[in-house]
Amino acid sequence: MSTALQKAVEFIFSGSALLKDIIGVTLRMSLASSLAALLIGVPLGIILGSGSFPGKRILIVLNRTLMGLPPVVCGLLCYLMFCGVGPLRHLKLLYTVKGMVIAQIILITPIVVGMMEPFISSVYPSMRETARGLGISRRRTLGLVINESRYQIISTYLMALSRALAEVGAVSMVGGAIAYKTNVMTTAIMNFTNMGNFTTALALGIILLAISLAVNIVVSLMQGGADR
Amino acid sequence: MIFTGLHKTYNGRRVLDVDSLELQKGRIYAVVGANGSGKSTLARLCAGVIKADGGYVKSDVHIGYLPQKSYAFRMSTRRNLRINGSDREREEHLLRELKINGLASARANKLSGGETARMALARLLMREYELLILDEPGSAMDIEATLLSEKLITDYRDRTGCAVLIVTHSLAQAQRMSDEVIFLSGGVIAEQGSPEAIIGSPQNEKTREFIEFYSK
Repeated sequence: MSTALQKAVEFIFSGSALLKDIIGVTLRMSLASSLAALLIGVPLGIILGSGSFPGKRILIVLNRTLMGLPPVVCGLLCYLMFCGVGPLRHLKLLYTVKGMVIAQIILITPIVVGMMEPFISSVYPSMRETARGLGISRRRTLGLVINESRYQIISTYLMALSRALAEVGAVSMVGGAIAYKTNVMTTAIMNFTNMGNFTTALALGIILLAISLAVNIVVSLMQGGADR
Repeated sequence: MIFTGLHKTYNGRRVLDVDSLELQKGRIYAVVGANGSGKSTLARLCAGVIKADGGYVKSDVHIGYLPQKSYAFRMSTRRNLRINGSDREREEHLLRELKINGLASARANKLSGGETARMALARLLMREYELLILDEPGSAMDIEATLLSEKLITDYRDRTGCAVLIVTHSLAQAQRMSDEVIFLSGGVIAEQGSPEAIIGSPQNEKTREFIEFYSK
């Protein structure tokens, strides 16, 4: 075990083109999907948390259901949409990073909404009443709401990124884990393990854990900043 | 200034049933009553932060409203004040008068309840309004801070000539500050008049009971 670990560490620092490509695709896909999910999910979370409109509770329940959407089901749905007989076949998204990003957005956006909505609904009523009492315009109140949510937005983003990095089911179905094209760290770990190449799988696992650790450290620091 | 249609029903229960309320500029009105008598609802309806049964109460008066629990934005106390105005001289004056100048750089969301209440009052008084509506501004303050805030509110009224509607549980505060007491009971104005008349010789049975209870 210790020999495998030593070899894995050596492999990380070997400058392997394959490793670089896998990390590159992973980061490209994860950053793009988490950022897009944030751009869609934060405004939706603010609307759901601050608004009062018919059907709001249904939307919250629907979002909570989507938060638990199994990645393989999401992958299957995307596959059926993008495959040769699917309604979106002309977009040629199957086995592409773009297709993987779309699948990730579908998976992550409800999580972003689900993290923003309770936060906004916990602070908004008091914030709104205070702002109204001061005679602050709705537009400026919205600016204050966003400013108040800055730490929440950043930690939500980092959680989304973390989720995107760790995802395997949907991306393997939509991306196909094609080497030098759509193979990301999680799918590569699975493939290398199946092939018996534990050194490379372990090396990728170490990198993935290191990234996850870094993201969590930043989240903790952000939460510490918010509490100060 | 006259507010009409101050009616509010929650879950089928009428909590406020006041047809109209007339306030004169330059006067301080204390709204007094037991819990659930409709004091805060009256303040919130007049301030336009909640809808009355017939829609928002219309008013062309520039109103400043201090909720019972004001929100302290996650920024310094000074920046919280600047949300509502940029007069540096006034800012320093308010911070000093309420004895929170030492907390000017502190994060407002980390202040104690009493400090937050003082910050919120200072923030409101950064701007000039024709009507100030204050919902229990002293509930989280100690006696020193309460007296400081009362002086500041009275000075503000003298300087701007605005009307002040202050919701309070404290008969002593009503006596110290107000020109007129509005006694609410069961969502209706049971009695209205000078503090001497209302507190000294109440005519309404509910008012009498309330005053006797609080005088014990």
